[in-house]
Amino acid sequence: MLQHGPLLERLLAGDFICQVSDEDAFRHLSQEQTQQDINHYLRPLNRRLVSNDDNSVYFLAYHELNKAAREQLSGQFALTVQSLLPLLEWLQLVQETLGRDSALTAGDTIKLQEFVLRTEDNQSLRQRLNQLASDRFFNSQSDALDNQVKLIFRRLKEHGYLLQPHSDRQYYIVTGKIDYLIDVIRFIRDEEHLPVDDTPTQQAML
Amino acid sequence: MAPLDTGAASNLFNVGAERLALLGKHHKALMQGYLDGFIDEAAFSESALKKLIAARILWRPDEQQPLALRPLVSELIASMVADENRRQINADVAEKLEQIRNRVQAYRDAQYKSDYSVAELQLQRLTEHVHDLSGQFEEAIDSLWHRLNSDFGFVASLDDKIRENERAQKQLRRLLDGLVLLDFNELIELSEGNNQLRKLLVSQLQNQLSSHHSSLLEVQKRLVELLARFRQQQSRSMLITNMAAFLRQHPKYQPADYPNRSDVPVLFNQAAAIQPQAAIALDKASERQILAELVRALPRTAAINLPDQQSASFAAVMEDEEIAARQQALKTDVENFYLRVIDKAGPLSALDYLTEQQLSWDSEIWLYQIIAEYQALPQDEKHMFAIKRDEVPASAVNSLLLIRDISLSLQAA
Repeated sequence: MLQHGPLLERLLAGDFICQVSDEDAFRHLSQEQTQQDINHYLRPLNRRLVSNDDNSVYFLAYHELNKAAREQLSGQFALTVQSLLPLLEWLQLVQETLGRDSALTAGDTIKLQEFVLRTEDNQSLRQRLNQLASDRFFNSQSDALDNQVKLIFRRLKEHGYLLQPHSDRQYYIVTGKIDYLIDVIRFIRDEEHLPVDDTPTQQAML
Repeated sequence: MAPLDTGAASNLFNVGAERLALLGKHHKALMQGYLDGFIDEAAFSESALKKLIAARILWRPDEQQPLALRPLVSELIASMVADENRRQINADVAEKLEQIRNRVQAYRDAQYKSDYSVAELQLQRLTEHVHDLSGQFEEAIDSLWHRLNSDFGFVASLDDKIRENERAQKQLRRLLDGLVLLDFNELIELSEGNNQLRKLLVSQLQNQLSSHHSSLLEVQKRLVELLARFRQQQSRSMLITNMAAFLRQHPKYQPADYPNRSDVPVLFNQAAAIQPQAAIALDKASERQILAELVRALPRTAAINLPDQQSASFAAVMEDEEIAARQQALKTDVENFYLRVIDKAGPLSALDYLTEQQLSWDSEIWLYQIIAEYQALPQDEKHMFAIKRDEVPASAVNSLLLIRDISLSLQAA
């Protein structure tokens, strides 16, 4: 277990481990033996290792759901629900601003400066960014575009959706936690039968 | 190469060479025509246009249409520059196979008649056909890999990429169907009893085609994977757009209370963070040494005592005896300086006194202490001394005054 010490610490601290955030750890976690070892170790802490549907991101869940655990999960869930729209809007904004033909996925790189430059000259993007930055999930008090963008990216880094490989260089890599977010949305959509379509109809394809 | 009459062969050579030269001569205008899809007739002289049309390089598809490159010429260019938008894949195997059969027959007939020069020519043609067949697959596979490796980057939108990928998969299926047409038993039969034929049709062609077959299967696997990824991306984009739209339309929307269900979905079972903490333990004797080093390495708060300007009696806060002693020595020296001033009639420079007495005090500290001592004097005693500062501005642009020296003199009361 000793060699997994740093990994356990990251997991216990609530980090999501994916191929982008920690390639080595992710490889270890993909092995069944390691999963068992870790679960065995985590048992007294009332934790267990879980992953999303396509095993692209690992995190810790409660083993037994006692009262305290449920309270914590309720709070967590409220935050998640609250963050859905701002996160989705951010995803859309990045896709449109950078002129990408597909949604962001784990491993994509975003250059902050490029994002700022493209937003600067476009009134409607600027407007949307302004609105997004003042959402309470990001909660920016500044009117300056540069500060707003920096804050948004910093918040996303704190929440584990982005990774900044060099703290002095303003470029970010999208982590596997974005897959988790998509899974959450898909889950809610399926469970609540929301009229939210994700299969292109023949018409959309033509 | 004798059998065809040499006149015809040399004529063929001349016409071919001349027409190839035409391609080179007008390369820029023709390439522009490839890009535009039609030829700018103004770029050519009338005789040049006639020659190009006669050489079957240009044609007019329709009376109303401008001149354009012949499809075969476009195809040649597309293949040379690997332009995946225009590159054609020729999956027609049956025709090639028919040609190979005929050539084998002609070769055998010539051999039977002992007409060796004709037989040799036929073998030469047969070799070309076999190479063509293999080259046709090679070209197609190259084109497919090229498209795969560029992630279909030659089209812009995801929808186009999906369509291109589907087209490539259809081409690939046709190529695989074509490979099935090649029956090696038949080829073995065709080459029976002839070493050269066997070498050409069986060992060589078979080798090449089986490697093409495995390449095609690999490409197919990758194409399917890529298509799945494209579809996944497409569905993700749609999910994001539509869910965002839904949430915007229903700002009060609240999903069910998943965390309090009896069976909590794993996605919403995200445990609270635990930060492991540790403290120093002294129970292991072996670690004492390390701990002691750690303690020693702790940065100490440096005892910086800024002298109190008002009272100047900062000696009081000095705890350390050694510093206190030095402070006392400084005070004594300053007192001696004051005594000397009283003894002397005229003004006395503090720095001159310092050098004269060979005292080791830093000049700044020395001056400071003298001023402090002066300030600390009772009001009536202050009047007894005239203190004169020798000041200069810090620089030409900075009018901050720096004290260079102090001279003290006894004042007539």
